[in-house]
Amino acid sequence: MNFSERRPWFFLISFLVILPGIIFLILAPGLNPGIDFTGGSSLTMQFPEGSEANQKAIREKLKVIGYPESTVQNLGNSIIDEERYDLFFLRTKTLDETKKDELVDTLNSQFSPEQTNTLLSFDLVSAVIAQETVINACWAVLAAALGIFFYVWWAFRKVPRPIRYGLAAIVALVHDTLIVVGIFAILGYFLDTEVNTMFLIAILTVIGYSVNDTIVVFDKIRENVLTYTNRPFPEVVNLSISETMSRSLNTSFTLLVTLLALLLFGGATIREFLYVLIIGVIVGTYSSIAIATQVLVSWDQKTIGKLISS
Amino acid sequence: MRRNARILITIVIITVICGTILGVQKVNLNNFERGSDDLLGLTLGLDLQGGSHLIYQAINPETGLPGGVTEDQMKSLSRTIERRVNASGLGEPIIQILGEDRLLIQLPGIRDPGRAKALIGETARLEFKHRTTDVPPKPLTNILTEDVISISADGVSPDKTLKSEDDPDSENTSEYAESIVFEFTESGTLKFDEIVANLQFSMVTAINAAELGSNPPPPARLGVNIEGAETLRFQTNGLQILRLEQAEREGYKFAIALPSSDTEGTSVLSIEEAIAKLGTSPTVNFELSEGHIDEDIGLSGDDLENAYPSQHQASGAPIVNIEFNERGTKAFGELTTEIYAKQQSSGVRDQIAIILDGKELIAPVVNSPITAGTAIIQGGDFTLERVKDLALLLESGRLPVPIQLLQERDVDAMLGADSLRKSVIAGIAGLSLVLFFMILYYRVPGLIASLSLLIYAMIVLTIFKMLPITLTLSGVAAAILSIGMAVDANILIFERMKDELRTGRTMLSSINIGFNRAWPAIRDGNVSTLITCAILYWFSDQLGATIVQGFAITLAVGVAVSMFTAITVSRTLMRVVALTPVSKNVRLFIPTGGGEIKDNVQN
Repeated sequence: MNFSERRPWFFLISFLVILPGIIFLILAPGLNPGIDFTGGSSLTMQFPEGSEANQKAIREKLKVIGYPESTVQNLGNSIIDEERYDLFFLRTKTLDETKKDELVDTLNSQFSPEQTNTLLSFDLVSAVIAQETVINACWAVLAAALGIFFYVWWAFRKVPRPIRYGLAAIVALVHDTLIVVGIFAILGYFLDTEVNTMFLIAILTVIGYSVNDTIVVFDKIRENVLTYTNRPFPEVVNLSISETMSRSLNTSFTLLVTLLALLLFGGATIREFLYVLIIGVIVGTYSSIAIATQVLVSWDQKTIGKLISS
Repeated sequence: MRRNARILITIVIITVICGTILGVQKVNLNNFERGSDDLLGLTLGLDLQGGSHLIYQAINPETGLPGGVTEDQMKSLSRTIERRVNASGLGEPIIQILGEDRLLIQLPGIRDPGRAKALIGETARLEFKHRTTDVPPKPLTNILTEDVISISADGVSPDKTLKSEDDPDSENTSEYAESIVFEFTESGTLKFDEIVANLQFSMVTAINAAELGSNPPPPARLGVNIEGAETLRFQTNGLQILRLEQAEREGYKFAIALPSSDTEGTSVLSIEEAIAKLGTSPTVNFELSEGHIDEDIGLSGDDLENAYPSQHQASGAPIVNIEFNERGTKAFGELTTEIYAKQQSSGVRDQIAIILDGKELIAPVVNSPITAGTAIIQGGDFTLERVKDLALLLESGRLPVPIQLLQERDVDAMLGADSLRKSVIAGIAGLSLVLFFMILYYRVPGLIASLSLLIYAMIVLTIFKMLPITLTLSGVAAAILSIGMAVDANILIFERMKDELRTGRTMLSSINIGFNRAWPAIRDGNVSTLITCAILYWFSDQLGATIVQGFAITLAVGVAVSMFTAITVSRTLMRVVALTPVSKNVRLFIPTGGGEIKDNVQN
C-alpha cells in the first residue's frame, strides 16, 4: 500500500475530524467543565439502615433524574434514638432550593418513604481542582512537548534534517489532543458530557501514547534512510510503515483489548475515562502512520505549501 | 553462558523478593514501615479506597468566634492545608470550601485519624523561644527550717524491702535504701509534696523528650544544703525523692537518695559517712533550680516562611529544613548569635525551644550563628516519618486563620467500591486476554513475554508499595500506559527477531540481532516518556498541580521498569530457551501466518 500517495486524503480526513471539534471548542460553551472544576452543591443525607440505599443505588438514581456526574460516598453509619442510619455524602452540580427539594424528595420516595428528615446538611462546595491548576497543567504539558521536540531532534541527529522529526512528532501530538478534546467539546454540546479530573489524566495518557507510537515508526524510518540512501524518501517511508504495521496494529490491539474489557465489564464510574483512552489509542496509532510520517514526506517533497493553497 | 545463568538467578531472586514483599501485608524493618490493609498492602488513593472525611470550621482570629472570615482567607487556608498534606506523602487529598466558612478535607486511606488531625493542626500557635539552660538556683523560701522535724540517714530495714513487680523473687532494696530521711510537719509535707510533684513532672518530660529524639530540656533540680557536723550540699532530681507511705512509717517522711561522695559523682556516700556528716542536730535549707527558662523573643510562626523534610546532603540522615522571612531571619540570626556566643564563652548550651500551642515540639541546640534565614534541624534518631511530621507541624503554625474540627468520619471510595471491584476483575480479564493473544500469535516468545510481563507487574507493584506511591486512578492510567509500552517493547523485539529468523539466521543470533535492532526504538520511546514525566513532575511541583504529579511519577516508575524487563528479563529468558531442544523447532518462534519459513535452519 502506498501511504505517501494517499497523504492528501489522510490530511483531509484529519482536517474534517478536527475542524468541527475546534468550532465547538471555540464557540461557547466549549468543553463542559464538571463539578471537579466548577464546584457545586454537597448534601449529607441519612437513610435508615436496611433500606435500599447504597452508593451504587443512589448514584444510579441521581443519573436517572439528570445528575449523572454526581459523586456519592458512604460516610459509615450513625445511631440516633437507637435507630441506625447509613450516611451518604453527595456532590452534585449547583442546586437551587427548588432543585434541592426535588432531589431530596426523589431520593426519599425511593429509599425512605416514611422518613422526612433525611437531609442533614446542604452546602455549596468549591472546586476540587482550581482553575489555575488546570492552566498550570496545560503549561506543564507545553513544556513537556518542548522537551520531546528537543529529544527527538537530538535522537535523530544522524539522519538528514533531524529537526523535522521533532516537529512532526509534535504535530502528531497536537493532532491527537485536538481530536480527543474536540470530540468531548462536541459531546458536551449534544449530550452534556462533562470533563473532570479523570479527563485531564486521560489526555496526558493519550499524549504519552501518541509520542511513543510515533517514535517507533520514526525509528524504522531512521534505520531505513541510513540503509537505503539512494531510494527516494517517500518510498523509504512507505517501506518503514509497512514494516512496522504489524507491530503498530498488535500493540494498539493489545491495549484496546484491555480497555474494551474494562469498558464492557468494568464499573460505570470510569467509563468516560476509558472513552478518552480508547479514542486516544486509535487516533494515536493512526496519526503515527497518517500524520507524523506524512508531514515528513510533504516537507521533503515541499508540498506543504501546495497543500495549504489547494 | 555463565553470564546468562547469573542474570537468570538475579531475576529469580528479584521475583522472589517482590513476591514476598507483595505477599505480606505489612513490611516492618526497624524504623522502616510500609504496607497497608488494602490490596497487596498497596497504598490506595481516595478515589480507589476512601479515607477520612473531616469538616473544619474556620474561626475569626480577632473575635475567636466561628465564621467571619473572608473568601481570600478561606482560599489561602485551603491552599496551606493542601500543601501540607501533599508534603506528608499521604497522597492526594480532596479539599473543598464548604459554604462560606467551613472546609471539607478528605484524606486517602488514613487508618489513624489522630495522625491526620495532628497533621492538619487546629488553632496552632508556633513560638520560638530562647531556652536558658544555666538558671541559677533560687532558695526555696516557703519551706522553713521549722517545717522539718528531723533529718536522719537511714539504712535498709527488713519491713521496707520492696519486691520488684517483674520478678517477685528478687529483692529490690535500692528504692529507698540508704537514704537521708526528712520528717516534715503536716503543713511542710503539703508544700514539699507539691515541689516533689513538679520536680518529677519536669524529669518525666525530659525523659519523654529524649525518647522522641528531642534534646531534653534540663530538668528542674532540688538543691539540699544540710548543716550538721559537716556541711552536706547536693542536688537531686525528682525521681530520687520518695515519699514514705504513712502505713509503713509514722509521721510525714521523705527519703532522698544518698548523694555522691565526690564531685564526679562516681561513688555514692556510704550510710556511715552520711550519719557522720549529719551529726546530732542537722538543719536544712532547700534551693530550687528551674533547670531552664523559656524566654519569648517575639519570633513566631508568622515569621516562618517554609518548613520541609529532606535528607542531609552529606550523611543522608533525615532533617527538617526551615526558612524564615525577612523579619524572622533577623530575629533568628540574633537569637542564634547570642546562644552561640554564650556557648563559646561559658560552655553552656542554650536551646531554641520550638513550641506549638504550648507544647514543646523540639528544642534544638545551636551549632553556629545562622543569619541567612535558613536552617536545618537534625536529630540522631530522626526517622523519615518524624521529620515529615515535624515539618508539617512547623508549617501548621502558619495557618491563616484558626480552625476547629466539626465532624470526622470514615468515607469510602469516590469511584464506588462496587464499580471498582468490577473494574479490577475486568482489568485482569483484559490483561489475561492480552497474554493469551501474545502466546497464540508469537508462540514461545509470546510465552516468555507474558512471563516477563508478570515479573514486570510484580516489580512495579513492589516499588509502589515500598516508596510508597499512593495509587489513584491517575496512577492506574499511567500503569495501563506503561504496560502498553512494556508489551510494545516485547512486540518490537519479536517482530525484529522474526525478520532475522526468516533470513535463515540461527536462533541465538536472531535473538541478539532482534534485541539490538529493536533497542533504539524502545530506548527513544521510553526516554522521551521519561523526559515527559520529569518535566510534568517538575512543572506541576512548581505550579502545584498534584494530580499531574502523581501521574508523572507512576508512569516514570512503570517505564523505567519496563525497559529493564523488556531488555534484561525477556532477553535472558529467550537465550536460555534458545539453548534447549525447544529451539530446534523454529515454527514455535515465528508468529502465526508467518509466511515462508526456511525449515532447514539448524541451531
